[in-house]
Amino acid sequence: MKILIVDDDEIVVRSCRRILNAEEVQTQVAASVDIGLKLLLEHRDIDPFDLILTDIKMPGRDGFEMIRRAREIEPDIPILMMTGYLTPETMEKGHLDGVDYSIAKPFTPDELIEAVHKTIIRKKKEQTDE
Amino acid sequence: MFFAVDRLHSIRFKLIASLIIASLLVCVVSIFVGGNMLYRSVLDEARNRIRQDLNVARVLYDDRINTIRTALELTASMPEVFSGFCSPESPLPETAFMQLTTHQGLDFLGVTDAQGQVVYRQEGNRSGSPGSSKSYPLVEKVLKEKQTFAGTVVLSEDELLFVAPSLVDRVRVSHAVPKGGRLFTTQAAAMTIGVAVPIFLDGSFAGILYGGMLLNQETGLVDKIGETVFKNEIYKGQNVGTATIFLDNLRIATSVKDASGKRALGTRASPEVARRVLGEGGSWTGRARVLDNWYVTAYEPLLDISGKRVGMLYVGVLEAQYADVRARAIAKFASIILVGVLVAIILGWMITGRIMQPVTHLIRASAEISSGNLSPDIGPISKDDIGRLQRNFLTMTDALREKEERKRVEHETRLLQSEKQASIGKLAAGVAHEINNPLTAVLTFTHLILRRKDLPEEVREDLEMVADQTERVRNIVKSLLDFSRQSEIEVESIDINGLIRDCVELMKNQALIKDIELSFKGQEKLAPLRLDRNRIQSVMINLIINALDATAAGGSIKIVTARSVEGCKKGVSIAVEDTGHGISPEDMEHLFDPFFSTKEVGKGTGLGLAVTAGIVERHGGSIKVRSRKNEGTTFTLWIPYQDGPEDFQPRTGEYKL
Repeated sequence: MKILIVDDDEIVVRSCRRILNAEEVQTQVAASVDIGLKLLLEHRDIDPFDLILTDIKMPGRDGFEMIRRAREIEPDIPILMMTGYLTPETMEKGHLDGVDYSIAKPFTPDELIEAVHKTIIRKKKEQTDE
Repeated sequence: MFFAVDRLHSIRFKLIASLIIASLLVCVVSIFVGGNMLYRSVLDEARNRIRQDLNVARVLYDDRINTIRTALELTASMPEVFSGFCSPESPLPETAFMQLTTHQGLDFLGVTDAQGQVVYRQEGNRSGSPGSSKSYPLVEKVLKEKQTFAGTVVLSEDELLFVAPSLVDRVRVSHAVPKGGRLFTTQAAAMTIGVAVPIFLDGSFAGILYGGMLLNQETGLVDKIGETVFKNEIYKGQNVGTATIFLDNLRIATSVKDASGKRALGTRASPEVARRVLGEGGSWTGRARVLDNWYVTAYEPLLDISGKRVGMLYVGVLEAQYADVRARAIAKFASIILVGVLVAIILGWMITGRIMQPVTHLIRASAEISSGNLSPDIGPISKDDIGRLQRNFLTMTDALREKEERKRVEHETRLLQSEKQASIGKLAAGVAHEINNPLTAVLTFTHLILRRKDLPEEVREDLEMVADQTERVRNIVKSLLDFSRQSEIEVESIDINGLIRDCVELMKNQALIKDIELSFKGQEKLAPLRLDRNRIQSVMINLIINALDATAAGGSIKIVTARSVEGCKKGVSIAVEDTGHGISPEDMEHLFDPFFSTKEVGKGTGLGLAVTAGIVERHGGSIKVRSRKNEGTTFTLWIPYQDGPEDFQPRTGEYKL
């Protein structure tokens, strides 16, 4: 399993990598939306990611942009959004843009792992529904 | 614009106008009544006067006859005048007769012998031929009675032709009929006054001397009456007094002259007058129209020697002078009234001004109040009824001021509070966001380390402490974010009793552990409220947790719902009553401030009640606290029923402490 992490805050990125690596999940990190999208494109045909974990509040292009573009490149990829300020409005906007699940920062390792699983389950359920 | 009332509708105008209308009414009525009374009494006076004048006229008329009688009797008693009677050769003394005629103004004079045969006849200055005089009624009477007869005699045309043929022209009267103006001639009988005296020679009846005057178109007598009675007074070019002699009802001699100076002869008296005077023999007084003027008039009958009513004697005074008295009086009255009304207007204006001044002041003051000045000047307090109004007005403005002040303080407090809340919210959102990233790392790595099996026990315990406290920080930040979030609430129809029952169920175990009795009593048949389920649930749980924290073992917490009306809105009140330690008055002030907590450090975030108040507020409701130190605290929420979904907007309304 391979997850693309998009966040500008290095400490968050490191936390996520440690949690996911401990679960034997491969991770690739992008410090900005541009890099994230570039990586997504590069890997699409050879070695596609299984999930995108993206922050929302970032300088320049924000997480919502990342989600929208990602959906264009990989329509079926599960997307998990994380944010330090999770309001119903953010959630709704994220869902409209194509997010499958969301998690509020801060989180414990267990909470993140559970959220990843739920994201994948949601996506699968959604696909079977269709 | 203190007087938006137009002047026609001002009280002042109405008062003055009604006063004036009333006084004008009285004046007009009194002018008419007074004028008429005056006129009538003047007329009565005029009638009395005219009656007297008529008497004087009568006396003058009779006097004329008596004068002729005396003169003729004197002549008849002179033997030298009639000595010639014995011998036909000696002529009668014509010169003496001429003198008599001229002096007495006689129209005719004659002498008969003892058989009544005329021996001498004279008309005016002319001597005529003798003939029979049997047809002269007076002579016949003397022949029979042998004594003097005098009085009014009406002669037919034949009789007149006999007595004085030259006078026949005078009885023909031409006059203009008032309508049409056609001239025509009336042939009338002749009305005369005359005297016949027997002549005695040596003691035996020898003949008769007779004489008289024709009244038709006679001017001397009527003019003399006018002169004697009315002193020829002239009023506006008209003779004030007039006299007329009627033959039957025909005017034959008068002092009334028309515009051209011609005497008004030939017309007849009104049928009413004729009936009364000629028919009944009475006298008549009253208004009568002669030519173009109204006269106050009096009539009485003239009798001939046999006592038959043959004509009328009339006098009249011009009414115009009396009517003018009335006109002058009315004019004087009117000018007095005019002055009176003017004075009334001025006085009324001044008096109503004084009365209305305080009212005007009050009107101005009330206008000032509506434009925001709550301490208007209402002028000096008057001692009358308006004084009460003024005092009440002052009481009202005092109450208004007090209320306004209260409102202002309340408003300022609220404003301050919401400003405080808003700024704290903004800060919290920013800070929380920045704190959450490092917190993620802290949580992640503590938990990852805790997963390791090879940790020494004391390190594990320390690390768990780090994990717990990080959890606490996480909770604080979460509350802070909840508090700062001013998002809309999502409402649905909810049975509030059911919602509370769920919360009570959730908290039951905790209460049991603390040995606190947690009870709920819901008002039956409550209509569902429009609520945000999650938020109201967290409000209720928050309140129950607070109550549990404040209450010692053995205490109780009662939750009660009830229908309740606040202002004019229907709603439901939810009371959470505990028997805890209560809240001190100084804490009460800060109860709903964010980050204010009385709980032990580490036990509360200090945001619970602030968040609660915000949520209730956004439901359009309010929250109240009543507390007594060491006796307990009651939080009462009130949530209104919404009339419609469009009504349901988040509000920055007040919440009460």
